[in-house]
Amino acid sequence: MSRTAFLKLALGLLFAVLAAGMFNLQLLGGAKYRDLSNRNSIRLIPQKGCRGLILDCEGNRIAGSRLSYDVSVLPQGVKDRDGIFSALSRVLGTDAGAIAKKFKNGYTVPSVPVLIARNIELKKAIALEERKSELPGVIVQPSPLRDYPHGRLASHVLGYIGEIDRWRLTRLTDYGYKTKDLVGFGGVEERLDYYLREEEGGLSMEVDHRGRSVRILGLRPPVNGKDVKLTLNLKIQKIVEESLKDKTGCAILMSPLTGEVIAMASVPDYSPAVFTERQNQEIARLVRDLDAPLVNRAISGVYPAGSVFKVIVAAAGLETKKISAHTTFVCTGSTMVGSGRFNCWSTHGRQDLRQAITHSCNVYFYRSGLLAGPEAIHDYALQFGLGHTCGFELPNEAAGSVPSPFWRKVNRFKSWYDGDTANLSIGQGDLLVTPLQITRAMAVFANGGFLVTPYIIKEIDGKDVSASQQKSVRLNLKDSNLESIRQGLKGVVAEAAGTASILSELPVQVAGKTGTAQAPPGAPHGWFTGFFPYKKPKYVICVFLERGGAGYYASQVAKQIIARMAAEGLIN
Amino acid sequence: MKNSFLTILILAILIAAIGISSIYSSTYRKEAKPWREAWKRQLLWLIFALLLFIAAANLSYRWLWDGTYVLYGIAVLFLLLVFILGIVRLGAQRWLRIAWFNFQPSEFAKLIVAIFMARYFSKKGREEIVLSSSGFGIVRGLIIPFLFVAFPMALVIEQPDLGSGLMIFFLFIAMLYLTRVRLKYIVGFISAGLLLAPFLWHFLRGYQKDRLLVFLNPNIDPLGAGYTVIQSKIAIGSGGFFGKGWLSGTQSQLHFLPESHTDFIFATYAEEWGFLGCMVLFTLYYLLLRKGLEVAERTQDYFGKLLAYGITLLLGIQVFVNIAMNLGLAPVVGLPLPLMSYGGSSMIITFMALGILVNIDRTRAVF
Repeated sequence: MSRTAFLKLALGLLFAVLAAGMFNLQLLGGAKYRDLSNRNSIRLIPQKGCRGLILDCEGNRIAGSRLSYDVSVLPQGVKDRDGIFSALSRVLGTDAGAIAKKFKNGYTVPSVPVLIARNIELKKAIALEERKSELPGVIVQPSPLRDYPHGRLASHVLGYIGEIDRWRLTRLTDYGYKTKDLVGFGGVEERLDYYLREEEGGLSMEVDHRGRSVRILGLRPPVNGKDVKLTLNLKIQKIVEESLKDKTGCAILMSPLTGEVIAMASVPDYSPAVFTERQNQEIARLVRDLDAPLVNRAISGVYPAGSVFKVIVAAAGLETKKISAHTTFVCTGSTMVGSGRFNCWSTHGRQDLRQAITHSCNVYFYRSGLLAGPEAIHDYALQFGLGHTCGFELPNEAAGSVPSPFWRKVNRFKSWYDGDTANLSIGQGDLLVTPLQITRAMAVFANGGFLVTPYIIKEIDGKDVSASQQKSVRLNLKDSNLESIRQGLKGVVAEAAGTASILSELPVQVAGKTGTAQAPPGAPHGWFTGFFPYKKPKYVICVFLERGGAGYYASQVAKQIIARMAAEGLIN
Repeated sequence: MKNSFLTILILAILIAAIGISSIYSSTYRKEAKPWREAWKRQLLWLIFALLLFIAAANLSYRWLWDGTYVLYGIAVLFLLLVFILGIVRLGAQRWLRIAWFNFQPSEFAKLIVAIFMARYFSKKGREEIVLSSSGFGIVRGLIIPFLFVAFPMALVIEQPDLGSGLMIFFLFIAMLYLTRVRLKYIVGFISAGLLLAPFLWHFLRGYQKDRLLVFLNPNIDPLGAGYTVIQSKIAIGSGGFFGKGWLSGTQSQLHFLPESHTDFIFATYAEEWGFLGCMVLFTLYYLLLRKGLEVAERTQDYFGKLLAYGITLLLGIQVFVNIAMNLGLAPVVGLPLPLMSYGGSSMIITFMALGILVNIDRTRAVF
């Protein structure tokens, strides 16, 4: 081949090489490079909305949002790292070495900002913004943060906010949840997370090589979460929580007519802000604490009912006509059931139903329970809402359990004896209830025979959702029977020998029942449940003190709550 | 005769027009006014270059035969002057200010080397100029011409302008190959060069070493030396088949691509016009180069023939190296894309060279 011919060939070949290179880049790699080019020039700036507010029934804010300021450092914008770190440490008041370490740990690529400090004070944020020109690469970004204006108030009802966990993520991806999303845990935050959560918006911006904005390509405004109004009354909630201070237990106030929960407190409690501020040590302490401050005792704790269960035994006996209001038994301080001796806590003498309730006489209820039989007690307990969840809205509601001969056979592989009936009649044995169940059962006597469904969510996004609550069910109880039991409940407070007679000093007439549930080993649990005002009940109250001693102490707390409510004019 | 004049003129103007539109596109969003008006200046150079093209096409190239060594002397003088009077820009001293015009002597030197090679390897016969290399030994066939070429080449590399220096070197090899100098000399010369390469490595400047290393793997320094190649590949690749459209190439518009109107004008064009547009451009360049080869082939006069080859090669090698560099197939060396890149010197010299080419084709018939 001549040299000139070779040259011609070479010319063609070289162009073929170039064409092949073009083919490779533009046709084979086109999509990839298009993506890279977009990533060069298109910046997505997320814009966060605010999580929906949680309000009490009067529209007071229980949980809201405030702006918090986070400081990050953009690695590619920083030339003199040490200088920036020391300047930051001067403003933030933290050690420069610690900042450098945080930066090192968080560093991924030059174009991704590294978070240095979260939730700094407004003053510091302003100080940093003012010195922006001296601190290239330092970014102060405002972001909404869950805010609790009343601190720990109603923490168990609210729940808390945290980064989504794996389990929730797998269940919720279809609803648009992503990793690192903040979601609610426990309480209303979890239950209504789908409504409360904000929709992240964003700005897509074309930038030049220096990252300066050239034009805005698109904007999707963030959407704030929907506000939720609860049935809770903040003032009453406050009174309840203050009365429970330094105790272990819970208290519930509910409207007996509708089932609206007006106050619900559980102690020990926690501060939900700990979770939004990510105070990891404090969170670990809360999780490890044996007193379980994260558990809402009002709905998740199951306890023996003790004497408060007697009202249901009374209803069972009356309705099955095994006893009447005028049936009497003589309390000699104890009674023989089979070969066993069952004690009363005192010697009451002859007792009719009203007196037996007033004095909480065990012997009376041993006898009437035995007359009614365990199946009847079991049936009525279920009718009064025990043994299954109340259908309450907050998560982690416990069902408790109501024993019966059949239940005992299946669960304990044991036969049922009369002694078991006697135990059940005074609310001991295998009977386990939640304080909310007891509140609901007490409401039946307050409202004249209706089993209500407790609820706490009143409005979502301004729409009343209480209409969609389960309707209250009329229990087939005779009015005369109800009235007999109500008389007994009134006596508990009104009579000098009543177990909760200290409540008679209140300006409002209260009816109720105390309970002292034995739960060896350790001190008994104290119960008081009742309703007021007696004539036209507006509130059902239930106070439960875990290992709080006799029911007397629980009635003391109830007295304190009702007294303060009366003093603040909240009853009428 | 008229034919090659018109064909070459039309092809060259088409390419230059594409170049100006790309310069406009890549600079119209710049902040400084002088940048935004770069295309106007380029247009001015084009008009000026066209005048020189017509002049060169009408002035017999024969005077180049007589003037070769004078021109060679002038070229070397210019290159030396650059060191004394040159303007430093972007860390390199490549420009001489002549009146209002910043002249780049290395562009001139490239053309002079082509002329020198053609002159050196041809001699005046009784009737016409013939090839003189048939009897040349290694000294006359390789060493002497290399020394002549090496001097301006070294000056260019020292500016530093590695691209133009290498360009001169490639041109030298390619023209040597066309002059019937024995192949073993050429092979031996290239081998010697390769053996010396590790030694020559130490003479390179730091950034030149970086660029060569980055060519092997652009990702070793994505924000430094590798940045340009990466951005250029992104620009070209993102164009896809149809391109993003004129004035819509984000890579060049938003200045992610450095030198988007000079050495990397091709990437700018490829981003906006896509594979389709590039194939059109390749066809234009290919036709132009084919025309050059045709002219060389049918010229009997050996000086003219070699000069035509030289001019074609000068264009061809620059086009290839520049586009290969844009595609990341060659290391980044400062080398313009003839007819398209912004710059008066390159534009004027290229058009003058094409004018000489047309003149060779026209004068051919005289003999």
